[in-house]
Amino acid sequence: MTKVISSSHPASASEAATHANTLSWFDISPLDKERIRELAPVSDQVGDEIINDFYTHILNFEEAAKQFADEAQIARVKKGQKRYFKELVSAELDEAYAEDRRRIGDIHERAGITPTLYIGAYAFYLQRLGHVVLESLEDDPAKAFHLVLSLMKIAHFDMALALETYVGAREKTIETQQRQMSELPTPVLKLRDGLLLIPVVGTLDSYRARSLTVQLLEGIREYRARAVVLDITGVESVDSAVANHLIQTMTAARLMGAKSILTGISADVAQALVKIGVDGENMNTAGDLQQGMELAEKLLGA
Amino acid sequence: MKAAETVTAQQQSVQHDGDVVLARQMGRQMAMALGFSKPDQALIATAISELARNIVNYASHGTVDAQPVSDGRDTGLHVVVSDRGPGIDDIEAAMTDGFSTGRSLGLGLPGTKRIVDEFDIQSTPGKGVTVTIIKWKHR
Ligand SMILES: Nc1ncnc2c1ncn2[C@@H]1O[C@H](COP(=O)(O)OP(=O)(O)OP(=O)(O)O)[C@@H](O)[C@H]1O
Ligand SMILES: [Mg+2]
Repeated sequence: MTKVISSSHPASASEAATHANTLSWFDISPLDKERIRELAPVSDQVGDEIINDFYTHILNFEEAAKQFADEAQIARVKKGQKRYFKELVSAELDEAYAEDRRRIGDIHERAGITPTLYIGAYAFYLQRLGHVVLESLEDDPAKAFHLVLSLMKIAHFDMALALETYVGAREKTIETQQRQMSELPTPVLKLRDGLLLIPVVGTLDSYRARSLTVQLLEGIREYRARAVVLDITGVESVDSAVANHLIQTMTAARLMGAKSILTGISADVAQALVKIGVDGENMNTAGDLQQGMELAEKLLGA
Repeated sequence: MKAAETVTAQQQSVQHDGDVVLARQMGRQMAMALGFSKPDQALIATAISELARNIVNYASHGTVDAQPVSDGRDTGLHVVVSDRGPGIDDIEAAMTDGFSTGRSLGLGLPGTKRIVDEFDIQSTPGKGVTVTIIKWKHR
């Protein structure tokens, strides 16, 4: 049996221990492996049959069928399935095997195959395999039963590995999306010579507050601004860390020769900030955008 | 206005900056469903934001659990924010205005205490921090 993935780094002792631990969590013993291996001689023929049935089954479902672009792709996936099946019955179950099962979770997540599709497909597969076992061991039902139980353990082990990775990949995707959202470019608008307006829309988390700092300071340099109005109308929550970013940004702006004015703090945000203990002392503030602009004009004129 | 019984307990795990936003939105929505006034909704959102932000900044991973409470006369929102990070060595110092090891304002913990009705902080150094807060609707 060729290994699918030769791991690029030798597995550490702790990884090996975790792996062994997982196997015993699923109560998989050498005896299970031995039982499964009895299927090896028939694996080629049985594998083909089951996989063909399997595709006939899943192509009946729109949700599943739309995963396949054309016949060629189905053929490719079938080949992969065949390999998957042969690995299952060879019951090597070493770390390379585990690694491969994890990779499957990752591939599925990226392909948009839901856990329901994956588990449902596996269930079908297992059920067909169960029939094959029962038929081939007709005269020894007890043995057949044990073999099916062993198959169940390994199938669950497989699914757990794939789903762990699935969830991990999912989290990463969501995180990327969140990051992109908080990177929504904040426009820097030049109102007239020396005066910039930065309207902040949406949520202000500390990541976004930091990127706001960069944009504001770059804007000051680029436009040689002497006054900046930072408008946070529509920002519904400001905590002390974000307030701190804003204060630091305004201080940095001052060092660069620009005065900044914060406008659009809602009554609720203002009240919360006061109770938290943030005072407006280090900030130039104005009630609304209009007043902010007037203040800026005054600062520029002076 | 909905009764407290129709608002169920909710949890948000906190690891990234974005989770802080999700946690405070969860708190705000529950507060709204419980009939808290708008300013109080903002205070609850801010309190959760402070505590969740501390997890991201100092403990890497934790949870925010929010549930309605009642003492017979009044309804409140009960929030537990906990992590298994490094913990706080000197709680008294951490509760002092202006104390910060993160070069921030040092207002998160003392400020949160000021905006809620009940505040409890427990920490075992090396084992994490658990902060429990309650905001009542009518006090
Ligand atoms: N969950 C936590 N785990 C470990 N240490 C914490 C935790 N929360 C707070 N601390 C410690 O307590 C100090 C005070 O926290 P607090 O939230 O009051 O201020 P801050 O986070 O430093 O600044 P601010 O919240 O004003 O931005 C922190 O600087 C940090 O050293
Ligand atoms: Mg803080």
